[in-house]
Amino acid sequence: MTPSSTNRSGWAAYLQVAPLTLVLICFFAVPVALVVIVSFFRYQMLVGIVPTFTVKNYVDLFTNPTTWTLYASTLKFTLIVLVVTFVLGFWIAYFLVFHIRNLVTAIGLFLVCTVPFWTSNIIRMISWRPVLGREGLINSALQNAGITSQPIDWLLYSDFSVVVAYVHLFTLFMIVPIFNSMARIDKALLEAAIDAGASRFGVIWEVVLPLSKTGIALGALFVVTLVMGDFFVVTVMSGGLSGSATSGIFNDLQFLNYPRAAANAVILLITVLLIAAGIFRLVDVRKELVR
Amino acid sequence: MTTTQGSGDIRLVDVSKQFGSSYAVKNVNLTIPHGSYCCLLGPSGCGKTTILRMIAGHETPSAGEIFIGDQMVVGKRPVERGTAMMFQSYALFPHLSILDNVAFYLKMRDVGKTERRERAREMLARVQLEHLKDRMPAQLSGGQQQRVALARSLITNPKVLLLDEPLSALDEFLRLKMREELKRLQNDLGITFVHVTHTQPEAIALADMVVVMDTGRIDQADTANMIFNEPETPYVARFMGGQNVLSGTVASRAADLVRVRAASGALYEARPDKAAKVPAEGAPVSLAVRRDRIALSPRAEGGPVVNAVSGVVEATEYQGTYVKVTIATEDGSIFVANVSDDAYFASPVDTGDAVTARFRPEHLHFLSKVDTGAAGDPYLDAH
Repeated sequence: MTPSSTNRSGWAAYLQVAPLTLVLICFFAVPVALVVIVSFFRYQMLVGIVPTFTVKNYVDLFTNPTTWTLYASTLKFTLIVLVVTFVLGFWIAYFLVFHIRNLVTAIGLFLVCTVPFWTSNIIRMISWRPVLGREGLINSALQNAGITSQPIDWLLYSDFSVVVAYVHLFTLFMIVPIFNSMARIDKALLEAAIDAGASRFGVIWEVVLPLSKTGIALGALFVVTLVMGDFFVVTVMSGGLSGSATSGIFNDLQFLNYPRAAANAVILLITVLLIAAGIFRLVDVRKELVR
Repeated sequence: MTTTQGSGDIRLVDVSKQFGSSYAVKNVNLTIPHGSYCCLLGPSGCGKTTILRMIAGHETPSAGEIFIGDQMVVGKRPVERGTAMMFQSYALFPHLSILDNVAFYLKMRDVGKTERRERAREMLARVQLEHLKDRMPAQLSGGQQQRVALARSLITNPKVLLLDEPLSALDEFLRLKMREELKRLQNDLGITFVHVTHTQPEAIALADMVVVMDTGRIDQADTANMIFNEPETPYVARFMGGQNVLSGTVASRAADLVRVRAASGALYEARPDKAAKVPAEGAPVSLAVRRDRIALSPRAEGGPVVNAVSGVVEATEYQGTYVKVTIATEDGSIFVANVSDDAYFASPVDTGDAVTARFRPEHLHFLSKVDTGAAGDPYLDAH
C-alpha cells in the first residue's frame, strides 16, 4: 500500500466513527459535563443558580443523614434484588438452554418470559395491589384457608412489596444475558464433565457457572443500574414509606435546587460506576465477549 | 499407570435407539472382545456415534442391553461403567488450564490439590505436553488439544476408551502420526478402544475389528482383512471402495464352477470357495471382484466372452503405484479397474477408448445379499 492510500483509509476510518462519536458527545458527554459543572454552582433561595464555584452542595449531602439512609436503603434493595434475580435468572436460563431439547419450545418459553413486558411498567406494578393488599388475593386465600385470622400487613406497602415488584420487573434482564452465555456453551462440555465423574451439581458448579460468568456480570450490571436509578417503583410499592437515592434527586428538583440535585446525581453516578468497576474486576467481560 | 480392573469386553444385545419416530439404531447385536481395537465405520447418520454414546452412557437405549465385562451398564453413570470418552470437538473446558483440565476427574473424586496436580502432570508427560501445562485450551493447536483430551480420558484409568471421530479435525500429516500413536497406545495399555470413523483407510489401518454400518444396522463385523477381501453385502463391498459388484442369476452350478448370467447377457464363471453360500439355480446373486484383480485390453470383437465387462473409458486417475481406470459399461453402470502402473504404461488407455475388462473365476466373490440398487444407499452411485 502506498502512503497516500494509507492516509486516505485513515481518514475514512475517522469518518466512519464520526456519527456515533457526535451522538455520544451531544447526548452523553455534554449533558454529563453540564451536570458535573452545575453541581459545583451555588443555589440561592428565590434567585436560583448562581454560577460561582462552591463545594457546599457536596458538603450538605454528605453531612445530611437522610442521604446516608437513602443510599443504605437503595444498596439494600440492590443487593436483595441482585441475589433473587440471579437465582431465578440462572435457573430459568439453565432450564431453557439445557433441559429443553427442542429449540422451538425453548424460544417459545423464552417469549413467555417477556409477556410481562407487553404492558407498561405502571400497570405491572399496580397489578400487584389486588394480589398483595389487605383484601387481596393472598390475604383472602390465607384467611379462607384458616391459616391466618388477620390479614398480613407487610405484603403491600413494605420492603417486601418493593422487592417483589423489582424482581418482577427486572428478572428478565438477568435471564437474557445468562441465556445468551449459556447458549454458547458446547453441550459436549457437560458430557465431558459427566464422563469425568462430575455429579449434576458438579457440572453446574465447575462448568456451567464459570462459563456463564459474562452473562451473570452483564445481568448484574443491568439490575444494579436499574435498581439504583429507580425512585418510582420504590415510592409506589412502599406507599411512600421508603425512598431511594434517586428520590433525593427528585425532591431537590421539585424545589428547583438544581445544583444539589446535580451533586446528588454525580454521587450516584460515581457509586454505580464503582459497583460496575467491581463487577468488571471479577469478570473480564470485554475479553469474554471477544472470545 | 496402574493396571486396569476388570474386563473391557463389550456386548450389545438387541440394542435399539429411537429418536421420535425414527430409529437411529435398530436391533444391533455386537460383541467387542476385551483389549481389541474396534472401529465403527459408516457414512454420517448411520448410527455409529449413537452406538458409541450408548456405550459411554450419554444416550440411553430405547430397547436392549449393553454389557461391559459382566456388568449390565444401561442406566449406570459413565464412571461406574469404566468408560472414558474422547469427544470429536475434544470438549476441553475453556476456562481451565491444561493441567486442571486433565486433573478434573481427580477433582471430582476429591483428590487433594497437590496430589491431583502431580498426577495430572505425570499424565501430561505421557502425552509429551508437560511444558504446556499452564496454557489455556484456546492457546493450543488442534493436535495438542487432542493430546490433552486423550490425557484427560486416560487419567480416569478406563477399561474402555471411546473415541468419536478423533482424527477428523486434524490435517493429513498429523492424522497419520496420531493414528500410529493411538494404535501404539492401545497396544501399551491393553484396554478396549472403540473408535468411530467414516474413513475406510483409518479403520483398516487401526482396527482389529471393523464394524461396517449402514443406516441403523450392522452390515458386517469382522477383521479388516475379511471386510476388505470378503465383504458380505454389496453395500460393504462398495463402501470399502475396493470392489466392483456384478449381479445376475445362477445359470448352472457344479462343485467347482458356478455360471451366472447377467441381465445384459454377459456370462460370469466363478470358483466359489468352500465357505461361500451359492444360491440355487435360477436364483438372483451378486458377485464382487477386487478392482486390482482386473486386466484391461482393447475392446474384443466377435463372439461371447466369459468374465469380461466391456465399455468406454470415462476417466483415468494416476495414483502413483497404480492407475484408476473408470469404465462406463454398456448397461450404463460403472466399473473400476486399478491397473498397476507397469501394466498401464505398457499399453495405456485414454478417455473415450473402448476397452474390455477381464477377471479370473477364482477372483469372483459371492455376496450373501443380492444387490438391489435400493435408494438410500449413498455409495451406490459413488465411483
